[in-house]
Parts: sequence; structure tokens; C-alpha cells
Amino acid sequence: MKIRVKSWGSILAIGLIISIALSGIAYAALGDRLLGKGSKGPEVTELQKKMAQLGYGVGTIDGKFGSTTEAAIKRFQKDHGLRVDGLAGTQTIKELKRLTAQSTNASGKAVGYKNIDTNLLARCVNAEARGEPYTGQVAVAAVILNRIGDPAFPKTVADIIYQPQAFSSVNDGQINLPPSASALRAAQEAVSGSDPSGGAVFFFNPAKTKNKYIWSRPQIKQIGNHMFTK
Amino acid sequence: MNRKFWIGTLAAAFLISLGWGFNEYRLAGEYRLVAENNNHRALTDFASHLDQLETDMAKGDVVSNSNQKILYLSQVSSKSDAALKDFAQIPAEQVGLSYLGQFLTQSGDFARTLAQQVASGGSISTEEEKTLRDMHERLVPVNQKVQDIMTRMDSENLAWTNPAPTIRQRLGFGGPQVAQAAADGSEVSAKSVRSGLDQLDASLQKLPPFSYTGEYASRVVPKPLGLPSGEVTRDKAQAVVRDFLGKVGYPNATPKFSGESQGALGGYMWKYKEADLEVSHQGGVITFYRDQRSIAPKTLSIEEASNKAKQALQTLGWQLALTSSEDFGSYVQFDAVVEKDGVRIYPDKVRLMIALDNGQLVGLDAAPYYSFHHSRTFPAKITLEQAVRKLRPNFQVIEGRLAVIVKSGNQEVYSYEFRGGYQGEEYLLYLNASTGAEEKIQRIIKTPRGEYLQ
Repeated sequence: MKIRVKSWGSILAIGLIISIALSGIAYAALGDRLLGKGSKGPEVTELQKKMAQLGYGVGTIDGKFGSTTEAAIKRFQKDHGLRVDGLAGTQTIKELKRLTAQSTNASGKAVGYKNIDTNLLARCVNAEARGEPYTGQVAVAAVILNRIGDPAFPKTVADIIYQPQAFSSVNDGQINLPPSASALRAAQEAVSGSDPSGGAVFFFNPAKTKNKYIWSRPQIKQIGNHMFTK
Repeated sequence: MNRKFWIGTLAAAFLISLGWGFNEYRLAGEYRLVAENNNHRALTDFASHLDQLETDMAKGDVVSNSNQKILYLSQVSSKSDAALKDFAQIPAEQVGLSYLGQFLTQSGDFARTLAQQVASGGSISTEEEKTLRDMHERLVPVNQKVQDIMTRMDSENLAWTNPAPTIRQRLGFGGPQVAQAAADGSEVSAKSVRSGLDQLDASLQKLPPFSYTGEYASRVVPKPLGLPSGEVTRDKAQAVVRDFLGKVGYPNATPKFSGESQGALGGYMWKYKEADLEVSHQGGVITFYRDQRSIAPKTLSIEEASNKAKQALQTLGWQLALTSSEDFGSYVQFDAVVEKDGVRIYPDKVRLMIALDNGQLVGLDAAPYYSFHHSRTFPAKITLEQAVRKLRPNFQVIEGRLAVIVKSGNQEVYSYEFRGGYQGEEYLLYLNASTGAEEKIQRIIKTPRGEYLQ
């Protein structure tokens, strides 16, 4: 009798655990439970999509919380002043949801992301200035925006970036790589008006460029490996 | 048997590679054709837009009715934008400053300025009429030259860009290269579309620039208005940096010299730990500071950070009002502007960044302030009540104040700023403070990072 009760109890306990786990999979919404290394399911997919949208590479979006996702979560936490533990808890998911939400007008109606140009700008920054100091990345974005203000160049971000031979990253296809979080932030900062380049419209790597025209431009300053010129 | 087997295998491999090669060749041909078609579209559209631009400019000159004038001038500006867009897609060997692009931008810009002038009840002066006519005069040969390139495209099968120089030419045996000839502007018959356009560019470069008022009138950055006078030495600059670092929480710092920058706000560049700073040659003031230190988990809210920003401004001796903030996660960026006698002077802007872990100043960009700050005298103004009456009915004003704003082309406008709601949207409306005419409208969008003006 005693044994029976025990086994009934354990069956009940197992059943309860299974049903909780199953309901977790069936009705999971991002933020319902703590996600960490080893978590699986549609909410992990959602998490990964949001991370990728903000430029934190999670590898393939496969709904599996692996070490790449964990590393990306850590970088996200570091950049956003959160406790760095690699777990997607309430705080982290709340911040992630807030930052990936659409913009709204005064009465709260969603009006889109409002970052069309910023995204392409970030791709160009990522491809042209990956590995450069952050200020140098903002400066590269500022160069593209300075061209809009210069009569001798086309007047939209896309026209400038895709102008034939304007950027080597367009020729070799690196422009199509997803932008990093730092490139996105640099582009955002340049769009909101920062210009560490001092009004430059060209930049080049003095160690790698022999082009006479670019060397003839009045130089403004060097940031990292890039020389910025008028 | 063995021999037959090998011959068979090799023959099969040969056939497969032949098929594969042919397929690749066919695919490459298709891609080439797509690119070729795109180039043709761009060039033809360019020529066609130039032609329409030329016609509309002539019509805009002759027309006397002001409504029609606005129509043709607006068409000039949209056709020049379109032509510029096409022009930017034509294959090139390299990108440089383009005089042809500049000419197109400026003619569109000038026409737009004139159209706005007429639309707001003004008229076009004789001088402006002459400038418009001069632009038309200059456009006619440009149009002809581009049409000539189009014709030669068909008759001579012009290439898009110049072929790379041959070994013979590189060794100096060949005649002058077309690109060089283009740079001289000499009339060697162009061998490619691009060299034809380069020749056109070189011929435009020789002509004097137009003088007019507009957004892209001049590409010369004006001298900074706000820098204190007198050049400073490197030692003095270092002392300025040390003093600044002491005020932002790095006492007894030893900044290292990292180079000099040129240009309007040129100066000495310094590095301390992970921070970069710049001190202007003229006046010896900090124009740029950015600390890339790693930031610990946040302990401050945005409101608390804004108080820290105000404190930082005070410590550094700035008297400015915070106007907006942008949340970057581990730090917040604030814009602060001069507010004098109740007038917000937006061009005189300083940007600050406050770390959310301890409230330290981690970024300062004073370049806009030092570029534009000067003492201003304001013209007579209408009263706030009079200005409110100029607003459209049902626009609910939340707040109103006087402000100096920048309109296109670094033009400053003394205006009334009204923040208010209309049909569920929020806007900033700017009315000219002397005339009450609407100068600028900005729509306020709430993004996850903060308010954004569109």
C-alpha cells in the first residue's frame, strides 16, 4: 500500500512536469519563462529574430539557444547596461521588445520603424569600417551623410552608396552582410547629427591606397586606419 | 576493356564539363545583359531628363503668370533631381567630386528657392532672372553633349568605361590616354561614355560658379563663428585637456598627443586611456571628447542622467538648456542649446553623453556650438498671441516659445516654435517671428530610443 502511494505520487509529479513543459512549448510567448543555454522552441526563435534585428548575430535562427545565442545575449546585455549573465530573463526580454518595437505617433499609433536609411548606412559602415574604432565608424556614416549635403553628390543614402565605384564593399558584396550592433549604433548616431570626421566627404586607408585623386584631397584627420578628407 | 572504360569516363567527364561550361556562359551572359540594360536605362533616362529640364527652364523663364511660374520652376527642380539620380548610376572608374552633378544640384536648388519665393507672394528679381538664364545657357551645351554620347553609343558602339591601359601604353609607347585628355579638357574624341562625361565635367569645371542663395549654394564651410581668438600651443592644449579630464572624473590624467586635425575646427588630438579628445588650434577649447570605457550595469534612470548632464554642463562652465535625449542603452545622449532671454538658439548646440552606470560624462561634441555661436540681434517681432492666431484652426498648442532655427543652407530664422497636437499627431510648427509666415514643420515620432523629429 505504501509503495502504491509512492508510485502514484511520482506518476502524478512526472505528469505535472510533462504537462507544464508541454504547455510551455504549446503556448509559449517570449517573456513567459527564463531562456538560457539549452532552451528550445518558438520563443527562442522569436528571441533570435529580435537579436538579429538589433545587429547581434545569433548564427542561424533555428529556435535553439546555443553558445552563439548566449554570446550574443551577453553582448546585448553589456551594451544596454544590464547584468551580464547570458540568460534571457524578464529585464533582458523587456529591453529587447522595447528596442525592436515600431515607432508610434503622439496618439500611440504604430508608424513603422523609421530606420530605412539607417539600416543601409549601418551595412556600409559594417562593411567599410569593421574593426575600426567606434568613432571611426560614426565618421564613415557621417561621410555618407555629408555627401547628401554636398552639391557634387547624389541626394539619397542609397544613391550615394550604390554609386558605381563609390565603395569597395559594394563591389565585393560585403555590403550585404548583416550589420553589427556597433555599426547600427554608429549609423544611428550619425543620423542624429554627430560628425567626428569634421565635415569629410571621402575617406581612405593611406596604407592601401595609391589613387592620386584621393591623395590630392585636403586631409582633415586620421581616425584609426582611415584618413578623412574634404 | 580497361582502356575502353577510361576513354568512356573521360568522354563523359568532358561532355559534362562542356555542358556545365556552356550553362555558366549562358548565365553570365544573362547577368551581363541585365547590367547592360540597367546602364542603358540610366543613360537614356539621364539624357531624357536633361532634355526636359532644359525645356522647363526655358518655359520657367518666359512664363508670366505666377501659378504657372511655380509649376515650371518646380518641374525644373524635380527634373534636375531625377537627372542627378540617373547620372549617379552610370558606370564609372572612380568617384570624385562631380561638376556636372554640382551643376544639376544647383540648378534644381535655385529653381526650388525661386518657386518658394513666388509661392509665398514674392517676385523674382532681374538679377535672379539673369542667373536662371545663365543656368539655361550652360545647360544647353551639356544637353547637346549628352545627346551626342547617346548617338555615338549607337553608331560607334562606345564602351561604358575606358579599358585598362595596355602594356604598350603603360610602358609609354601609346598615345595620350583618354582619361588624361579628359582631365585636361582637350577635345579628344571620347572612347567611352564615362570619358565623354568626364570631358563634360572638365569643361564645366572651368566655368565660374553661380552666385545665388539656396541650400547648396556654396560648398565652402564658413569660418567657425564661435571659437575664441588666438592660436594655442600644444603645451597649452595639453593643459586644457588635463583640466577637462579632471572635471569629468579623471584627476591627474596624462593625455598622450595623437595627431593634429585640419579644417575649420582643426586642432590637437589627444588620447587618455580609452578616451579621445580634440582641442582647437584657435582658442584652445575642447571641441570633441569621447570615452569608450566599458560601462557597468545601469544604476540611473534617464531623469537622473539628465540631472547629471546639467551638473556636467555647470562644471564645464556652459549655460545651456537640455532640449532632447536619445537612449543608447548603456548611455544617454543629450542635446543642449543656448537659451538667451527666452529665445532657444538651436544652432548653438552641444551634445553630451552620460554613462548610466555612474553618471560620468563619456561624450561631448561642441563642434556645432563653436561653428555657429555668435551674438545675434533680433528683428521686431509679432506677439505670441498674434502668432497663435496664424496657426490653423484646431491645432492644440501645448507650448510656445521663441527660437532661432536653421533652415536649408545654414540660413537662420528667428521664429516662434509651437509644439502642439492635430488629428492625433504631434508637431513642431515654426512661424517666422517678424512676419508670422510658416517656416518649417516637424512631426514628432516616438521611437524606442526617444523622440524623433521627421
